[in-house]
Amino acid sequence: MSIDLTFIGQIVVFLTLVYLMRKHLYGPMSELMEARAQKIADGLAAADAGMEARAKAEAEIAEQMKEARARAADILASAEKRAAEIGEEAVLRARSDAEGIIDAAREEVNAELGRARQILREEVADIAMLAAERVVEAELDAKRHAKLIDGIVSTGFGNA
Amino acid sequence: MAEQSHEGGIAGHLHYWTLKFDESNPFMQIHLDTMLVSIVVAGGMFIFALWLKGRLVEGAPSGAQNFMESVVGFIDDTVKDNFPVNNPLIAPLAFTIFVFIALVNTIDILPAFLIGNIAHLFGVEHFRPVPTNDLNLPAAMAVSVFALVLYYEFKLKPVHFMKELVMEPFTNLVPGFLKPIVMPINLILKVVEEVAKPLSLSFRLFGNMFAGEVIFLLIAFLLLGGGAVGMAAGFVIGLGWTIFHLFIGLLQAFIFMILTVVYLSIAHQPVEH
Repeated sequence: MSIDLTFIGQIVVFLTLVYLMRKHLYGPMSELMEARAQKIADGLAAADAGMEARAKAEAEIAEQMKEARARAADILASAEKRAAEIGEEAVLRARSDAEGIIDAAREEVNAELGRARQILREEVADIAMLAAERVVEAELDAKRHAKLIDGIVSTGFGNA
Repeated sequence: MAEQSHEGGIAGHLHYWTLKFDESNPFMQIHLDTMLVSIVVAGGMFIFALWLKGRLVEGAPSGAQNFMESVVGFIDDTVKDNFPVNNPLIAPLAFTIFVFIALVNTIDILPAFLIGNIAHLFGVEHFRPVPTNDLNLPAAMAVSVFALVLYYEFKLKPVHFMKELVMEPFTNLVPGFLKPIVMPINLILKVVEEVAKPLSLSFRLFGNMFAGEVIFLLIAFLLLGGGAVGMAAGFVIGLGWTIFHLFIGLLQAFIFMILTVVYLSIAHQPVEH
């Protein structure tokens, strides 16, 4: 057991080894491990961000679904309202049309009635002429005395 | 020039392969076995480092890279737990100390006379294969660490360190006129305290490994000279001691490393006012 030149030699060997290990083994490995740890940390952060984004997207989807349902309900309600309005309008229009048809029919009936009266008047006039000819036994000129006969008919059959 | 020994028994196996430059000066000699084995181990570590450096993958590690990453991670955690600031030199230093000492200590589990006998084949009289059994290696490492501690003490808090050298521990306990008298005592105590660090660091490692080697030699002599019973007992005891010594080697490497980190950590501690 003695301290000698081996001591100096061992210091040189030891310090050289520390330098070489730092440069060629510990340094590269430490950098590599740090880079990997950073990569893993980044990956985990990205995964967390992804989860957060997913949760946010799900919340947005739920919100949009809620809005869509509300809008659909609105649309349905307005459609029902519109359908009711259309039905009501149709009923009103049908009622109006029916009234129009009734009015037209009534007018037509009145016109027919007027025409029938006219025909009846003419026929009554003819009958009256024939009756007068028979009564006075005198032939009257139908065209010349038409006005006169009309006056008689309207006087006699005015309310017919 | 190999040192010749004529001693027998265990003492005969405790000589180094020595090259003497000056017979009259015991410092002027070099232990070739210690130098050779430590350079071979250091060279092996360097070659392994270069080999691994070329094979490093950024993705999931496997094999040697996986193992070394676990060692690097362990050292990194140990340094981070003990160190108040980030110093890029400390972790590689701790790593080198741990791996180098663990490797050279592990050589001790080889059969006691194996490498010595191989060396005999090449004409080497004495060969001690475990460099940590030579005080020069633990002392060299401990003194290097101590020099680094002093460097950081002077660099980071020179005034505080100088003040501590002469003012602690007695100056504040005595009246003002006695302070100049106790200052040299403080200095002596502080120097003893500081020198004790590398001394304890180196002798702890050296003592453990040296004792381990002596016990291996004892077991080997029991195994070779005790007949059939001795051989059987020697084999069982040798196996048990090998496993235990492997653990001791790793433990001593860890202790040397952790104390290095602690001493350097103390040097980096900020000054409290």
